[in-house]
Amino acid sequence: MGLLTRTREEVPCVVTISHRFEELSAHVKFTDGSVVGPGDTVKVHGAEIMAPYGEVVEEERMATITRASGIERLWTRATGDLEFMELCEFSFSEEVTV
Amino acid sequence: MNMQNAPKHSADATTVEEGLAIQEEQAKFDDDFATETAMSNTLLTPRFYTTDFDELDAVDVTPVRADWDKLIAQMESDPNKGHFKKNADWDEVDWDGMEPQLKAEFIDFLISSCTAEFSGCVLYKEMKRRGSNKDITQLFQLMARDEARHAGFINDALREAGLRVNLGFLTQSKKYTYFRPKFIYYATYLSEKIGYARYITIFRHLEANPEHRFHPIFKWFEEWCNDEFSHGEAFALLMKTDPKLTESFTNKLWIKFFLTAVYSTMYVRDHQRPAFHKALGVDPDWYAHEVFTKTSVLSGQIFPLMLDIEHPRWQRNLVRMQRANVLIADGKKAGGVGGFVKRITGSARAAAAFLSLYTIPAIKHDVPETTRLEPAY
Repeated sequence: MGLLTRTREEVPCVVTISHRFEELSAHVKFTDGSVVGPGDTVKVHGAEIMAPYGEVVEEERMATITRASGIERLWTRATGDLEFMELCEFSFSEEVTV
Repeated sequence: MNMQNAPKHSADATTVEEGLAIQEEQAKFDDDFATETAMSNTLLTPRFYTTDFDELDAVDVTPVRADWDKLIAQMESDPNKGHFKKNADWDEVDWDGMEPQLKAEFIDFLISSCTAEFSGCVLYKEMKRRGSNKDITQLFQLMARDEARHAGFINDALREAGLRVNLGFLTQSKKYTYFRPKFIYYATYLSEKIGYARYITIFRHLEANPEHRFHPIFKWFEEWCNDEFSHGEAFALLMKTDPKLTESFTNKLWIKFFLTAVYSTMYVRDHQRPAFHKALGVDPDWYAHEVFTKTSVLSGQIFPLMLDIEHPRWQRNLVRMQRANVLIADGKKAGGVGGFVKRITGSARAAAAFLSLYTIPAIKHDVPETTRLEPAY
C-alpha cells in the first residue's frame, strides 16, 4: 500500500443471496481469504445477481478490490466514525418529503 | 448457480401425467414471472463497514459470563422462530385505496426498515466471519439471523405492495467505511434499544386504538422488538466487560453525544412523515417524548447519564433543528446561489441547535450492579 497510490486486486468470491420469506440476505465472501480494510472499494464482476423469490442462490464470481491509499485509509479511519448515524434505525429515510 | 427449480420441458416427459404436471408447473412459473415483472424495483442501499476486528476479537466476556451464557442460550433457543409467519391475523391491505401521501410515507418506512435490518445483517455477519473468539462470533451469528429474518418479513410486505427489492448494489462498487468498536457498541446498542422503544410504543398504542392499525405488520411489532431488545442486552454486556467504555471522562462525553444525536435525528425524521403518524393517530411530539423516556430508563442499565428531556431548552431546540433541516432541504432543491445561502444558513442553525441540546446538563446516575433487563413495556 502506497501513501498516495491505490492498488487493485482481482480475487475470487462467492455471492450468496437468500430471497425467502424467512430470510432476506446477501453476502460476498472472498474465497482466497482476502479481507477488506477502511476505505477499500469492492466491485463484484458480471451481471446483476438476484435469487428468484423463495430461493437461495450461490454464485462464484471474480471481484476487484481497490485498496485505499495510505492517506485514504487514514482519512477513513479518522472520519468514518462520523457516519455512525447510518447504523441507527429510525424507520424513515433522510428525505425530507416523499 | 441454483438450477434445482429450472422447469423441465413437457417434451421431455415420459408419461401423460408427467407431461401435464410439467405444463402446470410451467404455467405457475409463467405466472410468477408475470408477477415479478409487473413489480416495480426498489433499490436497497445498505452500508458497508469495517472495524478493528482484532480488538473486537480480544473481548473477554468472563466478567459477565453468567449473564452472557443465559442470554446466548435464550437467543439460541430462538423463541421467535415461529413468530414471523403470516397467519389469519394478516388481513388484506387495500393498497389501492390508501391515501397516496400515506402510502408513500409507509413505503418509505418499510424500505428504510428493510435496509436497516439488511445493513445490520451484513455488519454482524462480517464480524462473525472475521472473528475467532467463540463468544463473539456466536453472538454476531445469532444477531445476523434475526436481522435477515426481519428483512425477509418486511420484504414480503413490500412485495404485497408490488415492490421488488433490487440487490443491484452487489455488483456495483461499494466503499467500506470504518467504525471503532466502541462506536459500534454505542451506536448499535442505542439503535437496538430505541428501536425496541419505538416499536413497543406503537404496538401498545394500537392495542388500545385498533382502528388506527392500517396495516397488519404492526401486529408483529411486539415479538419483533423483543429481538431488538435482546440484541441491545448483548451490547450492554459487551460494554460491561470494559468499565472504561462507560466510565472514563471522554467516553461519557461520547455517550452524551450519541444520545443527543440519536434522539434529535429521530425527532427530525419522524416529523418529516406527518401522514404516517396521523394515520396511526399518534402525535409525533408525544411519541418522541414517550420513546425518549423509555430509552433513557433502559439505557440507564449501562450508561451513567441520561439526557434531561424535561429541560426547557430540549423541546425548543428539537423544533429549531427540525426547521433548520427543512431549510437545508429547500436550499438543496432550489439550487443556485439562493439555495446555497439557504443551505449554509440551515446548517449553521442546525449546528447551533445541536450545540444547545448537547450542552444541557445531563442527569447523572449510578449504574446498577446487574445489567440484564427484561422487556417490560
